[in-house]
Amino acid sequence: MSLRVMVVDDHPMWRDAVERDLAAAGHEVVGVAANGREALARFPAARPQVVVLDLQIPEPDGVQVTAEMVAKDPSVRVLILSASGEQADVLAAVKAGATGYLVKSASRDELLDAVRRTAEGDPVFTPGLAGLVLGEFQRISEEPEPARPETGLTERETEVLKMVAKGLSYRQIAERLVLSHRTVQNHVQNTLRKLQMHNRVELTRFAIELGLDED
Amino acid sequence: MSSPAAVAVEDRLFRALAVLRAVVLVNAVAVTIWRRDDFDRPGLTAAAVVAMVLWTGFATWAYDERRRRTLPLLVADLALAAGLLLLTPAVQGDDVTASLPGFWVMGALFAWAIHYRWVGGLAAGALLAAADLLRQDIDWSDYDNAFLLVLGGTVVGFMCGSLERMATEREVAERAAAVADERTRLARAVHDGVLQVLALVQRRGGDLGQLAGEQERRLRALIRAQDTLAPVAEGAVDLVAELTSLERRTGVTVSTPATPVELPAATAQELVAVAGACLDNIRAHVGEDAPAWVLLQAFPDRVELTVRDEGPGIAAGRLEEAAAQGRLGVAESIRGRITDLGGTAELTTGSFGTEWEFVVPR
Repeated sequence: MSLRVMVVDDHPMWRDAVERDLAAAGHEVVGVAANGREALARFPAARPQVVVLDLQIPEPDGVQVTAEMVAKDPSVRVLILSASGEQADVLAAVKAGATGYLVKSASRDELLDAVRRTAEGDPVFTPGLAGLVLGEFQRISEEPEPARPETGLTERETEVLKMVAKGLSYRQIAERLVLSHRTVQNHVQNTLRKLQMHNRVELTRFAIELGLDED
Repeated sequence: MSSPAAVAVEDRLFRALAVLRAVVLVNAVAVTIWRRDDFDRPGLTAAAVVAMVLWTGFATWAYDERRRRTLPLLVADLALAAGLLLLTPAVQGDDVTASLPGFWVMGALFAWAIHYRWVGGLAAGALLAAADLLRQDIDWSDYDNAFLLVLGGTVVGFMCGSLERMATEREVAERAAAVADERTRLARAVHDGVLQVLALVQRRGGDLGQLAGEQERRLRALIRAQDTLAPVAEGAVDLVAELTSLERRTGVTVSTPATPVELPAATAQELVAVAGACLDNIRAHVGEDAPAWVLLQAFPDRVELTVRDEGPGIAAGRLEEAAAQGRLGVAESIRGRITDLGGTAELTTGSFGTEWEFVVPR
């Protein structure tokens, strides 16, 4: 399956390497950009299915770029590639709408696999990201203002997410919980969807508090 | 040389003193008019009052600019105050104890205290007290006034000095924080570049790639550990930062919440030590580079720590065998340490691997 991919990274060497790997795997690189401004300017014409995005790019940063791209085209999938994997940034990007996260040291095959899975709407989680998301849901549940029930995790979703955080693969989780691979994927997908939904609710609430909704 | 912050403090103090000078001038003039009948020589008294008014105006202007705050100005200020005190007996009858300038001398006293700190306050206070005592037959209330002048000058001088020192210290601290922030920002850019190159080399494969991968992992763990350095309460430790340091070991992945998890230092260190012992065990029984996962979850009342590997598991009977031989196996030692923390330890092992789950109250 050939995919339309956009690569955003400020390191030319790295950008070229990713581009080469994607092309060799039969994907079409429809656009490249070295910073957030370029990325957002080229995004509408390039119409990528998947954006491979470095978090640490010149302004606007990866988190802002993710939010704007998803707002412009909700069907786009954003895969975050980060060198240092800074916790707060990764979590912010996922809350902004990214559905995949990979450390740059991932192998070529891991990258290609991640791009393919991201395109299919399958969230690409590292155990580290799952830990962050688990912590975030815990934080949300401790908020004085109770979260809307539909943004809370079910017991099963928490269980699955915890297993991802402990390094189990979807296949292993499916075996342990006697579920289908597809069901496990759905659970993980739901956790991300709920996190992003809660983020939108929080942003809206914040906007209302600031009186930004009036104009 | 005073720091800019100290000079700014002095500027503000002199501006406040200008207000004080105006207040005590109004008071001195009003009091003089009110008890005008006490004065034997109205002409000289009027001249003294005019001198006070003019000097107050001049002093307000002169002290406003820091380059004009020189020794001659301060000496003149103090000399006029002391002179007016000494002039008092010449203008009024012997039966009147109040002095001519009254509280107006505070202007000169505090100027010395502000500019020369406690030494200046002490010197000016002593001089004014001496002038005040010299002008009259001493009784106890005069002694009290004199004592107050010396003490007031010294205390105010000391406090001005402290204010300036605190302002200087705060300025230094703020600058240090700004420098540290900038250094972190620069380091981040450099690290990011280095990480990218290491990751690239790693992708090319081969021996060099393997080496690069190892260094990349170490540097990333180091940066993570640095990033999680957050200020915590006294005696507390951020368990997230402590656990993250375990990621420097090959094959180890540490998953934590994004926010700090504060625990008493002893508890946190013991938990990290236990996790370290589990990882040592994995290295010994599964393999040097065996993958292992550490997960920390924090709840309001407890923390949950999981250490997992995908080794062959602990063979059935091995733990019992160790116990039967009277040896305290690794597992029992780990369990004991967690129990000492008031927590529980659960061990799951099988062909799928080994998993420890510790629950410790906060």
